[in-house]
Amino acid sequence: MTDTSDSDGEQTDVRAGLTRRRVLASTAALGATSLAGCLGGGDGGDGGAGEITLADFRGSGPLVDARGQPGGTSIEDLPDLSGELNFYLGGGEGGLYLDLIELFSDIYPDFSFGRTLDSSRSLANKLGQEAAAGVSPADVFISVDAGSLGQVADADGALELPSEVTSEVPESLRTNQWVGIAGRARAVPYNTDQLSESDIPDTVRDFPQTSALADGMGWAPTYSAFQSFVTAMRLIRGEDATRQWLNDMLDHGVESFDNEFRVSNQVANGALTAGFANHYYAMRVRNQRQNAPIELTFTSGDAGALINVSGAQIVNGTDNQELAENFLRHLLSAEAQEFFATRTFAYPTVPDVAPVGDLPTIDELNPPDVDLSELSDTGPTLALLDDVGLL
Amino acid sequence: MDTPELTDNSRADVIRHRIRQALPTTLTGVSVLIALLLLSPVAWVLLQAAAVGPDQAVELLWNGDTLRIVTNSMVLVGAVTAASILVGVPLAFLTVQTDLPFRRFWTIVSALPLVIPSYIGAFAFVSAFGPRGVLQGVLAPLGVQELPEIYGLVGTVLVLTLFTYPYVYLTTRASLLSFDGTVVEAARTLNHTRWEAFRRVTLPQIKPGIAAGSLLVALYTLSDFGTPAIMQYDVFTRMIYVWYNNAFLGRAALFSLLLLGLTVGILLWESRFNASREGAHVSAGSRRPGRISLGRWKWPALAFCSLVALLGLAVPLGVLFMWLFRTSPAYAEGGLTFELSYAFNSIGVAAAAAVAAVALGLPIAYLAARSDGWLGSLPERATYVGYAMPGVVLGLALIFLGLKYVSALYLTVPLLVFAYVVRFIPQAVGTIESSILQVDPKHGEAARSMGNSPLRSFRRVVFPQIAPGVVAGGALVFLTTMKELPATLLLRPLGFETFVTYIWQVQEQGYYGQAAVPALILVAVSALSMLIILKGDRYDVT
Repeated sequence: MTDTSDSDGEQTDVRAGLTRRRVLASTAALGATSLAGCLGGGDGGDGGAGEITLADFRGSGPLVDARGQPGGTSIEDLPDLSGELNFYLGGGEGGLYLDLIELFSDIYPDFSFGRTLDSSRSLANKLGQEAAAGVSPADVFISVDAGSLGQVADADGALELPSEVTSEVPESLRTNQWVGIAGRARAVPYNTDQLSESDIPDTVRDFPQTSALADGMGWAPTYSAFQSFVTAMRLIRGEDATRQWLNDMLDHGVESFDNEFRVSNQVANGALTAGFANHYYAMRVRNQRQNAPIELTFTSGDAGALINVSGAQIVNGTDNQELAENFLRHLLSAEAQEFFATRTFAYPTVPDVAPVGDLPTIDELNPPDVDLSELSDTGPTLALLDDVGLL
Repeated sequence: MDTPELTDNSRADVIRHRIRQALPTTLTGVSVLIALLLLSPVAWVLLQAAAVGPDQAVELLWNGDTLRIVTNSMVLVGAVTAASILVGVPLAFLTVQTDLPFRRFWTIVSALPLVIPSYIGAFAFVSAFGPRGVLQGVLAPLGVQELPEIYGLVGTVLVLTLFTYPYVYLTTRASLLSFDGTVVEAARTLNHTRWEAFRRVTLPQIKPGIAAGSLLVALYTLSDFGTPAIMQYDVFTRMIYVWYNNAFLGRAALFSLLLLGLTVGILLWESRFNASREGAHVSAGSRRPGRISLGRWKWPALAFCSLVALLGLAVPLGVLFMWLFRTSPAYAEGGLTFELSYAFNSIGVAAAAAVAAVALGLPIAYLAARSDGWLGSLPERATYVGYAMPGVVLGLALIFLGLKYVSALYLTVPLLVFAYVVRFIPQAVGTIESSILQVDPKHGEAARSMGNSPLRSFRRVVFPQIAPGVVAGGALVFLTTMKELPATLLLRPLGFETFVTYIWQVQEQGYYGQAAVPALILVAVSALSMLIILKGDRYDVT
């Protein structure tokens, strides 16, 4: 792999077409061999031109500056990637995940890839049908929600993962057929000009009775993360209580939006006092507008504190099982976890890597005791949302 | 076939009758085969729907929500179709038959909103006129706190009308261009008023054109997902999308079936206008009528054209340019870079779909235009079913059929092109059919009587006359294929991206700035093909 010809570089270039790649491709071989020196050195990536360093994995901006060296297993301790993998890449941060895969193909000249991007649910449906027919062009499925991964596993569409791939990830964030690569916590973004943290109750159960939150909250009922949250509530508190809560929130004047980034932006604008959204949307708003009056708080021990994951699984029927397993290990490497933390503002699923900014660490959160795979059971949730008029 | 009575006025009928009798049965056979192929995805819907238990099916279909959605959908279809006629027919009339100033300019401008995908139009309108939108921001210093609600039925009708009325405009225009203007003059000499002449002579002649365009508008409205979703108006497609996205294929299929039922209803309703086609090709040739002088109506006419152009072109393009120049620092590192290959992919599959749709549509259109038996018009009617299938449903059906029966084609370009043909062939069939209707059957008859074979006389006599219609039909398919989103997302081969899949991806993640350039290129390429249709139209004189 140290013998990279120009033609190899050109081939991968055609696929990815990034100018940055063009520079990197010619020096990728050097980069790979010199990784040890750069990543181990702890200088945060001032390794000189042409070398791929930790800085390439890391994002930038006020939330990322002054981070230390991540813990966990470095890619220099993993076997090289070699061969071609085809990805089904589920929505959300699809574009950013693509950046990560491209970084790997920069480091390993013998590694190349093809990909299809779509929503996680859509790809999961497709994988289900492909599994039934035993034909899938994909080797690896990367999804932004555990429900979709569970759905593919239920359809017998995923292979079992060996423990050497998954062992560093807490058991609550993985199963035999998928492993979480980045966490996404349910959170309550609130406008700091209008509310203080003490105004917001510790459980979502109390929200409809809290006068400070009347006629000022927003949510996104068609967004899958919100639906997972309702599913979790249903699993914890039962259908009737969940229905009651939804109706109470509606009576309390909650406003619907079509996605949670918009909810978070409206909170920062002051058009909403607070909202229900995944944690990273507020981080994005903050990284975009440093002085935006938006903060996050988390409820405790209930569905409002659910931690869902982006995860990966290996497609049943792949010819590249070994390469796929090795790739999943790369997704859980210190460098990739640093990437998720600092570029997508997600929670690393490897506990040795810290989350970004002033976020509480994942073990400081108090998520409910819910089996994430059960979140694929969205049928009754949708019927419920439909019933109360939210779909 | 029954024998026509030989009255003085039925000579044309006799000739037509002879041609119908002579229609080769192979044409019927070929057309039926093509129609069956195009209907194959429906089989999947039926299968999936059948898998839902009867009790559950009744429960799902017979409740207030379903009723509300059916009503919503029908109200929307009715309103958009009516509004499109009210916008499209006057524009066609003004640009063809009057002395409207800058006629050529308005001819092109009036057709152009069709090149803008309706979901981009919807985003633009929400961005411009929504709460806290651009317009409200501009007006805020003047004390305007709130604008009229853009969401809901009114906004959905507005947006869909603005980006689909060109169907009515184009088909009506084609009819107006190719009918014999001397008839109108004759009517005027018989002391008919202008309006009476229009109602009694012009209208019957252009009715098939209006009907063909309206049908496209109605079915587009019924199957569109993006616009009602963005404008927050609850219709069928949204329900199907929600069920589908959550792996309730049976329920999605059941609702799809209901949607297809509505399609058949619309088709039956529209076929009442078929009777009026009888009058459409009595007069031959394309003699120009005298231009009607607008007089003092010139200014209202210009204001009308300008208003439509402002809303249908200036607003969406303005918003796209605004996105282009608005930076969003948080997303500067976004991982999706536009590649030139996406443009070639888009243009390539759209061109392939256009050629295939025309090739498969020609026999069907010819059969429908030249026969009045039910078997003759059935293939034509059948093509509309695919047009009303939401892209998501069609995509799923073809995934299933591909996996099960032709796995070699699964997620390949040919299957993707087939999907486009299923979805958009009625546009080709409709346009070609109305041009065939304008050709006097006597021409073909004359060629036949001189010993030419049917195929040869078609090629030498009929085809040259309908060539503009064929080109226009192909170009329409090209345009709509370039804009199609849901089926493309589901059926594109691994690693295959197009303009719309790219725009969708970056827009999903809020990289509006990155969506602007490809959206503008998409609009430019589409506009270019639109100009080619209008310029290549041999009837179009300035």
